Amino acid sequence: MKNKIKIERAKKDMTQAELAQLVQVTRQTINAIEAAKYNLSTALALKIASIFETKVDEIFELEEKDWLE
Amino acid sequence: MKSSYLLPYRFKCVGWIIFLPSLIMGLLFFIFNKELPIFDCKVLAISDLEAFGKHHFLTVIPNNIQDEIISILIIIGAFFISFSKEKSEDEYISKLRLESLIWATYINYFILVFSIIFLYEFSFYWILIFNMFTILIVFIIKFNWALWKFKKNTQNEE
Repeated sequence: MKNKIKIERAKKDMTQAELAQLVQVTRQTINAIEAAKYNLSTALALKIASIFETKVDEIFELEEKDWLE
Repeated sequence: MKSSYLLPYRFKCVGWIIFLPSLIMGLLFFIFNKELPIFDCKVLAISDLEAFGKHHFLTVIPNNIQDEIISILIIIGAFFISFSKEKSEDEYISKLRLESLIWATYINYFILVFSIIFLYEFSFYWILIFNMFTILIVFIIKFNWALWKFKKNTQNEE
Protein backbone atom coordinates (compact mmCIF):
# COMPACT_ATOMS: atom_id res chain seq x y z
CA MET A 1 0.00 0.00 0.00
CA LYS A 2 1.47 3.35 -1.08
CA ASN A 3 1.43 6.23 1.33
CA LYS A 4 2.37 9.87 1.69
CA ILE A 5 3.33 9.82 5.36
CA LYS A 6 6.83 11.13 4.65
CA ILE A 7 5.40 14.08 2.72
CA GLU A 8 2.87 14.83 5.43
CA ARG A 9 5.58 14.64 8.08
CA ALA A 10 7.72 17.06 6.11
CA LYS A 11 4.78 19.51 5.91
CA LYS A 12 4.45 19.38 9.68
CA ASP A 13 8.24 19.25 10.26
CA MET A 14 7.78 16.05 12.23
CA THR A 15 10.24 13.21 12.77
CA GLN A 16 9.29 9.53 12.63
CA ALA A 17 9.89 9.30 16.38
CA GLU A 18 7.54 12.22 17.08
CA LEU A 19 4.81 10.74 14.90
CA ALA A 20 5.33 7.32 16.50
CA GLN A 21 4.88 8.78 19.95
CA LEU A 22 1.69 10.60 18.95
CA VAL A 23 0.06 7.48 17.49
CA GLN A 24 1.48 5.15 20.17
CA VAL A 25 3.61 2.85 18.06
CA THR A 26 7.39 2.37 17.75
CA ARG A 27 9.51 4.48 15.40
CA GLN A 28 10.46 1.29 13.57
CA THR A 29 6.78 0.64 12.82
CA ILE A 30 6.40 4.11 11.26
CA ASN A 31 9.56 3.40 9.24
CA ALA A 32 8.11 0.08 8.05
CA ILE A 33 4.78 1.72 7.09
CA GLU A 34 6.53 4.49 5.12
CA ALA A 35 8.62 1.88 3.28
CA ALA A 36 5.36 0.01 2.44
CA LYS A 37 6.66 -3.06 4.28
CA TYR A 38 3.65 -3.21 6.60
CA ASN A 39 -0.10 -2.75 6.04
CA LEU A 40 -1.27 -0.96 9.14
CA SER A 41 -4.60 -1.41 10.90
CA THR A 42 -7.61 0.81 10.25
CA ALA A 43 -7.34 2.34 13.72
CA LEU A 44 -3.72 3.33 13.21
CA ALA A 45 -4.47 4.75 9.74
CA LEU A 46 -7.25 6.88 11.25
CA LYS A 47 -4.95 8.06 14.04
CA ILE A 48 -2.27 9.08 11.53
CA ALA A 49 -4.83 10.89 9.37
CA SER A 50 -6.10 12.68 12.47
CA ILE A 51 -2.59 13.84 13.41
CA PHE A 52 -2.05 15.21 9.89
CA GLU A 53 -5.56 16.73 9.87
CA THR A 54 -6.42 15.02 6.62
CA LYS A 55 -8.41 12.04 5.32
CA VAL A 56 -7.15 8.45 5.28
CA ASP A 57 -7.49 8.08 1.51
CA GLU A 58 -5.42 11.22 0.98
CA ILE A 59 -2.51 9.54 2.74
CA PHE A 60 -2.92 5.88 1.77
CA GLU A 61 -3.50 4.37 -1.66
CA LEU A 62 -4.24 0.75 -2.54
CA GLU A 63 -1.99 -0.92 -5.08
CA GLU A 64 -2.77 -3.75 -7.51
CA LYS A 65 -0.99 -6.31 -5.30
CA ASP A 66 -3.15 -5.40 -2.28
CA TRP A 67 -6.17 -6.81 -4.14
CA LEU A 68 -4.38 -10.12 -4.61
CA GLU A 69 -3.67 -10.72 -0.88
CA MET B 1 -2.83 -10.80 19.13
CA LYS B 2 -4.21 -8.60 21.90
CA SER B 3 -1.53 -7.48 24.32
CA SER B 4 -4.01 -7.87 27.19
CA TYR B 5 -3.30 -11.61 26.95
CA LEU B 6 0.39 -11.03 27.48
CA LEU B 7 2.32 -10.89 30.72
CA PRO B 8 4.01 -7.64 31.79
CA TYR B 9 7.49 -6.99 30.35
CA ARG B 10 9.25 -7.75 33.66
CA PHE B 11 8.27 -11.44 33.32
CA LYS B 12 10.65 -11.77 30.37
CA CYS B 13 13.74 -11.35 32.56
CA VAL B 14 12.27 -13.71 35.17
CA GLY B 15 11.62 -16.19 32.37
CA TRP B 16 15.24 -16.17 31.18
CA ILE B 17 16.47 -16.59 34.77
CA ILE B 18 14.29 -19.69 35.16
CA PHE B 19 14.64 -21.07 31.62
CA LEU B 20 18.41 -21.10 31.00
CA PRO B 21 19.55 -22.99 34.13
CA SER B 22 16.59 -25.39 33.78
CA LEU B 23 17.47 -26.09 30.16
CA ILE B 24 21.09 -26.83 31.12
CA MET B 25 19.93 -29.13 33.93
CA GLY B 26 17.57 -30.85 31.51
CA LEU B 27 20.31 -31.45 28.96
CA LEU B 28 22.63 -32.78 31.68
CA PHE B 29 19.86 -35.11 32.86
CA PHE B 30 19.33 -36.30 29.27
CA ILE B 31 23.04 -36.97 28.75
CA PHE B 32 23.96 -38.51 32.11
CA ASN B 33 20.51 -39.80 33.22
CA LYS B 34 21.49 -39.44 36.85
CA GLU B 35 18.72 -39.08 39.44
CA LEU B 36 19.78 -37.34 42.63
CA PRO B 37 18.46 -39.12 45.77
CA ILE B 38 17.42 -35.78 47.29
CA PHE B 39 14.47 -35.77 44.87
CA ASP B 40 13.13 -39.16 45.97
CA CYS B 41 9.68 -38.81 47.47
CA LYS B 42 6.12 -40.09 47.35
CA VAL B 43 3.75 -38.55 44.82
CA LEU B 44 0.03 -38.68 44.12
CA ALA B 45 -0.48 -40.40 40.78
CA ILE B 46 -3.87 -39.89 39.13
CA SER B 47 -2.81 -42.61 36.73
CA ASP B 48 0.16 -44.92 37.06
CA LEU B 49 0.71 -47.44 34.26
CA GLU B 50 3.70 -49.65 34.99
CA ALA B 51 5.81 -50.87 32.10
CA PHE B 52 4.40 -54.36 31.39
CA GLY B 53 2.57 -54.10 34.69
CA LYS B 54 -0.60 -53.02 36.38
CA HIS B 55 -2.50 -49.80 35.86
CA HIS B 56 -3.32 -47.91 39.07
CA PHE B 57 -5.57 -44.88 39.57
CA LEU B 58 -5.38 -42.27 42.33
CA THR B 59 -2.54 -43.87 44.20
CA VAL B 60 0.53 -42.68 46.11
CA ILE B 61 3.74 -44.04 44.63
CA PRO B 62 7.49 -43.58 45.23
CA ASN B 63 9.11 -41.47 42.51
CA ASN B 64 12.16 -39.32 41.81
CA ILE B 65 10.74 -35.91 40.89
CA GLN B 66 13.95 -34.39 39.48
CA ASP B 67 12.76 -34.72 35.87
CA GLU B 68 9.30 -33.37 36.74
CA ILE B 69 10.78 -30.28 38.42
CA ILE B 70 13.18 -29.64 35.52
CA SER B 71 10.38 -30.04 32.95
CA ILE B 72 8.02 -27.67 34.76
CA LEU B 73 10.74 -25.05 35.19
CA ILE B 74 11.66 -25.21 31.49
CA ILE B 75 8.01 -24.80 30.53
CA ILE B 76 7.37 -21.94 32.97
CA GLY B 77 10.57 -20.13 31.93
CA ALA B 78 9.88 -20.54 28.20
CA PHE B 79 6.25 -19.51 28.71
CA PHE B 80 7.26 -16.32 30.54
CA ILE B 81 9.77 -15.45 27.80
CA SER B 82 7.33 -16.20 24.98
CA PHE B 83 4.25 -14.46 26.32
CA SER B 84 5.65 -11.36 27.98
CA LYS B 85 5.18 -8.02 26.29
CA GLU B 86 8.11 -6.39 24.58
CA LYS B 87 9.41 -3.14 26.08
CA SER B 88 7.65 -1.27 23.26
CA GLU B 89 4.63 -3.26 22.20
CA ASP B 90 2.60 -2.21 19.17
CA GLU B 91 0.57 -3.77 16.36
CA TYR B 92 3.62 -4.64 14.26
CA ILE B 93 5.19 -6.54 17.16
CA SER B 94 1.86 -8.35 17.62
CA LYS B 95 1.94 -9.33 13.95
CA LEU B 96 5.49 -10.68 14.30
CA ARG B 97 4.43 -12.60 17.40
CA LEU B 98 1.46 -14.21 15.68
CA GLU B 99 3.48 -15.15 12.58
CA SER B 100 6.24 -16.62 14.75
CA LEU B 101 3.74 -18.69 16.75
CA ILE B 102 2.18 -20.10 13.58
CA TRP B 103 5.63 -20.82 12.14
CA ALA B 104 6.70 -22.57 15.38
CA THR B 105 3.56 -24.73 15.29
CA TYR B 106 4.27 -25.75 11.67
CA ILE B 107 7.90 -26.65 12.50
CA ASN B 108 6.90 -28.51 15.66
CA TYR B 109 4.40 -30.75 13.88
CA PHE B 110 6.70 -31.28 10.91
CA ILE B 111 9.36 -32.60 13.32
CA LEU B 112 6.74 -34.77 15.03
CA VAL B 113 5.44 -36.31 11.81
CA PHE B 114 9.03 -36.87 10.58
CA SER B 115 9.81 -38.60 13.89
CA ILE B 116 6.70 -40.77 13.72
CA ILE B 117 7.80 -42.04 10.30
CA PHE B 118 11.55 -42.48 10.91
CA LEU B 119 12.17 -42.94 14.65
CA TYR B 120 11.19 -45.93 16.74
CA GLU B 121 11.32 -47.38 20.26
CA PHE B 122 13.18 -45.20 22.77
CA SER B 123 14.38 -42.81 20.08
CA PHE B 124 10.76 -41.83 19.52
CA TYR B 125 10.12 -41.69 23.28
CA TRP B 126 12.84 -39.04 23.64
CA ILE B 127 11.40 -37.05 20.73
CA LEU B 128 8.08 -36.98 22.59
CA ILE B 129 9.89 -35.69 25.65
CA PHE B 130 11.60 -32.92 23.63
CA ASN B 131 8.32 -32.19 21.86
CA MET B 132 6.92 -30.89 25.16
CA PHE B 133 9.26 -27.93 24.84
CA THR B 134 10.07 -27.47 21.16
CA ILE B 135 7.08 -25.34 20.20
CA LEU B 136 7.98 -22.71 22.82
CA ILE B 137 11.71 -22.90 22.08
CA VAL B 138 11.22 -22.61 18.31
CA PHE B 139 8.84 -19.69 18.90
CA ILE B 140 11.38 -17.88 21.09
CA ILE B 141 14.10 -18.31 18.46
CA LYS B 142 11.86 -17.31 15.53
CA PHE B 143 10.23 -14.31 17.26
CA ASN B 144 13.49 -12.87 18.56
CA TRP B 145 15.15 -13.36 15.17
CA ALA B 146 12.21 -11.60 13.45
CA LEU B 147 12.43 -8.76 16.00
CA TRP B 148 16.17 -8.38 15.48
CA LYS B 149 15.75 -8.34 11.68
CA PHE B 150 12.94 -5.77 11.97
CA LYS B 151 14.95 -3.45 14.20
CA LYS B 152 18.05 -3.83 12.00
CA ASN B 153 16.15 -3.06 8.77
CA THR B 154 14.36 -0.05 10.22
CA GLN B 155 17.29 1.39 12.11
CA ASN B 156 17.77 4.59 10.17
CA GLU B 157 15.26 7.36 10.00
CA GLU B 158 14.64 8.26 6.37
